[in-house]
Amino acid sequence: MLAVAAAGGPRIAALNEAAAAAGLACGEPLADARAKAGMLQVRAGDATADDAALRRLALWATRYTPTASPLCRDIWSEENGADGFFLDVEGAAHLFGGEQSLIADLAGRLAYFGLPARLAVAATPGAAWAASRFHPASCCVLPSGEEAAALEGLPIEALRLSLETRRALRRLGFKTIGALMDQPRAPFAARFAAELLRRLDQALGRIDEPLIPIVAPPVYHSLQYLLEPIVTAAAVVARAGRLMQNLVHVLTRDDVGARALRLCLYRVDGAVETIDIGLTAPTRSVSHVTRLIDLKLETLAAVEDGGFGFEAIGLAVTRTEAMPARQTELISAAPDSDRAERCAALIDALRQRLGPHRVRRFEPVARHLPERAEALAQADGTASAWPAPEQTRPLLLLPHAEPAEVTALVPDGPPRCFCWRGVTYDVAGSQGPERIGAEWWRAQKSAHGDGENLTRDYFVVEDLGGHRFWLYREGLYQRETASARWFVQGLFA
Amino acid sequence: MLIPMPRDGETSDFADLSGTQSRAVVIAELRRLLPGREGSRQTLPFGLAALDSCLPEGGLACGALHEVVPEAQNTIAAAFGFIVALLAHIACPPPLIFVMPAYGGRQHGRLFGHGLNGLGLDPGRLILIETAHRKETLWALAEALRSGAPHAVVGMIDRLDLKTSQKLHLAAADCGLPLLLMRPAQTLESSAAATRWRVGTRRAARDRFGLYARPRWHLQLERCRNGRPGQWVVEYDHVAHCFSLAAALADPALSRGPGAQPLQQAGRS
Repeated sequence: MLAVAAAGGPRIAALNEAAAAAGLACGEPLADARAKAGMLQVRAGDATADDAALRRLALWATRYTPTASPLCRDIWSEENGADGFFLDVEGAAHLFGGEQSLIADLAGRLAYFGLPARLAVAATPGAAWAASRFHPASCCVLPSGEEAAALEGLPIEALRLSLETRRALRRLGFKTIGALMDQPRAPFAARFAAELLRRLDQALGRIDEPLIPIVAPPVYHSLQYLLEPIVTAAAVVARAGRLMQNLVHVLTRDDVGARALRLCLYRVDGAVETIDIGLTAPTRSVSHVTRLIDLKLETLAAVEDGGFGFEAIGLAVTRTEAMPARQTELISAAPDSDRAERCAALIDALRQRLGPHRVRRFEPVARHLPERAEALAQADGTASAWPAPEQTRPLLLLPHAEPAEVTALVPDGPPRCFCWRGVTYDVAGSQGPERIGAEWWRAQKSAHGDGENLTRDYFVVEDLGGHRFWLYREGLYQRETASARWFVQGLFA
Repeated sequence: MLIPMPRDGETSDFADLSGTQSRAVVIAELRRLLPGREGSRQTLPFGLAALDSCLPEGGLACGALHEVVPEAQNTIAAAFGFIVALLAHIACPPPLIFVMPAYGGRQHGRLFGHGLNGLGLDPGRLILIETAHRKETLWALAEALRSGAPHAVVGMIDRLDLKTSQKLHLAAADCGLPLLLMRPAQTLESSAAATRWRVGTRRAARDRFGLYARPRWHLQLERCRNGRPGQWVVEYDHVAHCFSLAAALADPALSRGPGAQPLQQAGRS
């Protein structure tokens, strides 16, 4: 079953037949459920993933009719339930041979997907909702004009009412919709919110209920078949430029820019070469995109051994981002105005040619150990904020701290002379120690040792020539280790 | 430049030039004839009269190639520090490009962000590009200069022949950005760089508590186009981003003044 966090602890959101047979109900607190039944398999419910899946299903269902409206949480309110969708099959039922066969076809396909479904066709959405949930048959077709007769026997939960209204109606003794329909309307209007009568009228067809159809996300795709296959990279780049030109109008119309593109080259012998291009800033510029494609083709050998050539080229925008139109100035402003775009273009070009993991920027990491206190992240036009410098840190950090033989006073004196990489240095002055303890909250191995976390004492030592090094001693005498070791980790400017 | 001498019986313009006006007129003529150097290019002044007077434009010229060479292999950190100090002068938010070959990391380590912070350069402004070989480094440098987006470009190259250095210099001049190149310590050949600095280490300045306050470097301006070479011991203050001449110059070689045989010193390393 799926559990969802609610007031008072996690509650059951959905369960399968075995759980229902054991006597558990939806909405029950999980603790009670665990007390009632023995072994429970509980997973956390993910509402957003469910919504996304429902949207995809509704998009698929547009094969029956263009108007599919999923009951997602943001469109419909809570009491509608978020586990179904409406299809407006008014003019489309005859294409499938009538409503009965349409419903049978849909039920069969959903069963093939593995989704147990309850379906109902009716003249109004309200009646369809009611029938799909509370009608004894799992697929039913209500003839139009007979909603009143069909809804009479259904409980009042079949009208999409709020919890308080349902409770109040039950307290007053109304259990079925038929009981509601017989009563005069004025007392209901006076006592309850207008919602009760609205839902009743919607179900019976006296008021219209509009559906908000789902809109498929736009696809920006341009494909061109060539009369003669092309072989050279320059020709491919030129064609890709023209395809991008076609897309620019559509992108401008929708006020979006491309962030990621995919170029598909279809070879004569049937194979497809795909080239993915990522951008740091949304762009609609043809020259920039062609330049990046040119750079990418240089690094790939795909075009050299293109066989007999490429007969079709397709360019698709896989990721878009909002890019509102910017007003350009008549007289060119100071050259700094478009420096940001030029910088983004430069980063794109460098990433295309050298690879995205080669163009990086520094980012601080909140850890004490110096080799972990910074990270290199991919450059994407943003800059990270660095705190003001507090401790002295070297300019160059060696990738791994290298061991050195050091003469120093035991237990914690500064180094007097040391030998590193075969050269002996006499220490003329030193500064320190700066003690950096091990990160006891992380289980980690020290790079040189036996897996224990040892404290480090850092010293800045300077020799007679003015060279400054960053040495540390790993391990405290007689507290952590019997013999401490020294390492050189960095060089100062 | 050849000034044609008038033959007997023949007068020429140059023969009329005499007196106090001649020098100004000649300089104007030269300016007209020589390929134009447009107007005022930006410069990065050091703020030290001793240094700025040796440089042709009163500071480090933007739009030119400058080489920084460490004195010996073990002073490479000082050379990096000098470059970082120069970059920290350029006080603008947009990015600076740093091209470094990835294979150098094992020798001398990689730039440390907190260390850059300690020298006064905000590491968030840098974009680090790691290249695998020399051709990629040259391409990346050319690309960065051509785009004109960063405010300075720094690179590290081991072999550079005259023609390539000329191309880089022209590319930097086209876009008006300073291009600082770090070369290995054994560099002796000539190149088209506007200035070449050789950097060595000196004992650091200490503050009143005895802690290391400001780094000191021995700068030697080996070659300077249209300027004078010299050597100084400068101290860099990362808080104020300023250079200053170190107080006690006990080195007798320095008291001889600028131009004290730089080539011999280069041969010593």
